[in-house]
Amino acid sequence: MRANFTILFILPLLYLPVAGQQSLDSAYRTTGIEVVAAFEAERQILQTSSAVILDGRKEAGYGVVISADGYILTKASEVTKVAKLSVTVDEKNYTDAKVLLVDTIWDVALVKIAAEGLVPVVYAATSAVPQGTWVMANGATTRKKRRLLAGIVSAKIREIPASGGAVLGVVLKTVKKLLEVQEVGEKSGAFEAGLQKGDVILKIEGKPIKKVEEIAELLKTRKEGSTVKVTYRRKKLENTVDVRLAARAELFDDQQNRNDQMSGDFSARRSGFPRVMQHDVLGSSQVVGGPLLELGGKCIGMNIARANRAENYSIPVEDLKEIAARMMKAAAE
Amino acid sequence: MNLITCISLCVLLVSGATAQADRKYFNDKKAPDERKDLAAIQTAIQEALPQARAATVCVLLDEGSGSGVIVSPEGLILTAAHVSGGVGKKVTVVLEDGTELKAVTLGLVAETDAAMIQIIEKGSYPFIEIDRAETTRLGDWVFALGHSGGLDKERGSVVRLGRLVRIANSTFQSDCTLIGGDSGGPLFDMNGKLIGIHSRVGAQLQLNMHVPMSQFITNWDGMLAREFIGEGPFAEKPQKGSGFLGLATEPRKEGGLRVTKVGEKSPAQEAGILEGDVIFKLNETVLENREQMQALLKEMAKGDEITLETTRQGQPKNHTFNLGAR
Repeated sequence: MRANFTILFILPLLYLPVAGQQSLDSAYRTTGIEVVAAFEAERQILQTSSAVILDGRKEAGYGVVISADGYILTKASEVTKVAKLSVTVDEKNYTDAKVLLVDTIWDVALVKIAAEGLVPVVYAATSAVPQGTWVMANGATTRKKRRLLAGIVSAKIREIPASGGAVLGVVLKTVKKLLEVQEVGEKSGAFEAGLQKGDVILKIEGKPIKKVEEIAELLKTRKEGSTVKVTYRRKKLENTVDVRLAARAELFDDQQNRNDQMSGDFSARRSGFPRVMQHDVLGSSQVVGGPLLELGGKCIGMNIARANRAENYSIPVEDLKEIAARMMKAAAE
Repeated sequence: MNLITCISLCVLLVSGATAQADRKYFNDKKAPDERKDLAAIQTAIQEALPQARAATVCVLLDEGSGSGVIVSPEGLILTAAHVSGGVGKKVTVVLEDGTELKAVTLGLVAETDAAMIQIIEKGSYPFIEIDRAETTRLGDWVFALGHSGGLDKERGSVVRLGRLVRIANSTFQSDCTLIGGDSGGPLFDMNGKLIGIHSRVGAQLQLNMHVPMSQFITNWDGMLAREFIGEGPFAEKPQKGSGFLGLATEPRKEGGLRVTKVGEKSPAQEAGILEGDVIFKLNETVLENREQMQALLKEMAKGDEITLETTRQGQPKNHTFNLGAR
């Protein structure tokens, strides 16, 4: 498709100062300290109601504090990679943080820390605000102080389909009229489910499969993060496993296009979301997972992906409330 | 190059002194420091956005897509030279509501990345005003629109807010982050007037470059007259004689040139021309001999459109296609 290849010049040289030019002091740029100072009230909310997800000393992401007793939502695909998990809220670091549940459709994890008296976010009334509306999110952080960055709502609320389609994550080959697994993607649901090279795929969701095209047809309407039952044969033994579907483009790194190279930094999972609101708060993929605030400090969404240098996605508040309530309920059971 | 730069600089200096009645007050604050400043910025962008968005288009090309903005009700579009890529090329533009329209590239300025496109279908199109007086100053709040990453009908064009962080002779720099597909798209002031066209980015998020309106105004008549102004780097000047057709002919006694050979994978073959076809006209000129046809082709460049009027077993057939590269 045409959309895969788009045009923009990349500067071939470092930008050299030229006589006659004027330059704005960095403090007064959109991300500068003097501009950000206007949002001090909202920064205070991030101070108490956003969480810093740490891997040892390194920031792995941010989170949304949703209860006084230590329940936090964050980006699942980032927090589950963390080796040495701890969470900082306000000035206090909690080393007992645990990932309780993961919602693979929305890529949201519920994390619990042993805390009390936290200040949960206050949800905004609606995400249906006009484009151009101010929104704020976590910028970088110090050990004790959260920083804020501001931007605007920048496109229509919509679904982001799985990039390249939702797939099992295996390379298949027809060998003697059988569909044999040639390769299993390292980050794929098939890998997690234990599929191996040489396995023969027999059925998906109970439906006998003979051709690769039949799998594509069957998965066409499925969502990233959902699971399908895969029946396979290995050394004369049949087995059925649940396989999580992932976006094809996110399983294989060689699919980076020119815009990805230009972006430098983006979330490993940035597609396959049922509904997102889009904004232009500048930042890196390390600042994803925290709350998106509106003026006044209410939480209008949760940052879920940095898609590229110009586009960021948040889960809209209506969906966020539903996810929070559902996961809290499941955790209590 | 020097002349263009000089003129634009003079214009900038002169207009800098002009007082602007409709200039937003928050632009004269070093930074917003009250709630009402933030509210005023938000209100300004929200008021300007519907018209700005209606005038912003996606430009579909064979090899990708860019953006552009309509500046007259007749459908004159400003874009970047590296988007239009040449003079007299057929392109398709897509409005915010999804309407696809035929258009043709007009002139361009290869050195500063300015270009024009004209919608050729009759109509009355949504358009925006240009900031002809060049009222923009360093630190002004601005917003960018464009089809980031290509056309996405579910998403629409993407709006980004920023400030004008650097003004150089032929470039504005803002902290509105741009990406591929935004090229040629509009940068607006807070009154919704067009002040720049997106051109290029650097690795840092702060490096987003736009062609100021002065570059368009200086070269306006030349671009309208379909001139290719300047030399590179943003567009490659077509070289006469660089076009490739890929067929051999012999003259016929009864008139026209008979095709004796069609090159494998040549533009002529891909256009469907077969050995034995008889060519009578090239771009409406009646062909009398081979030398004449060669002379006509020598005046053309790669990518140029060519129309051959032919007959095949007595049946007339016209072929319109683009010349390849030699």
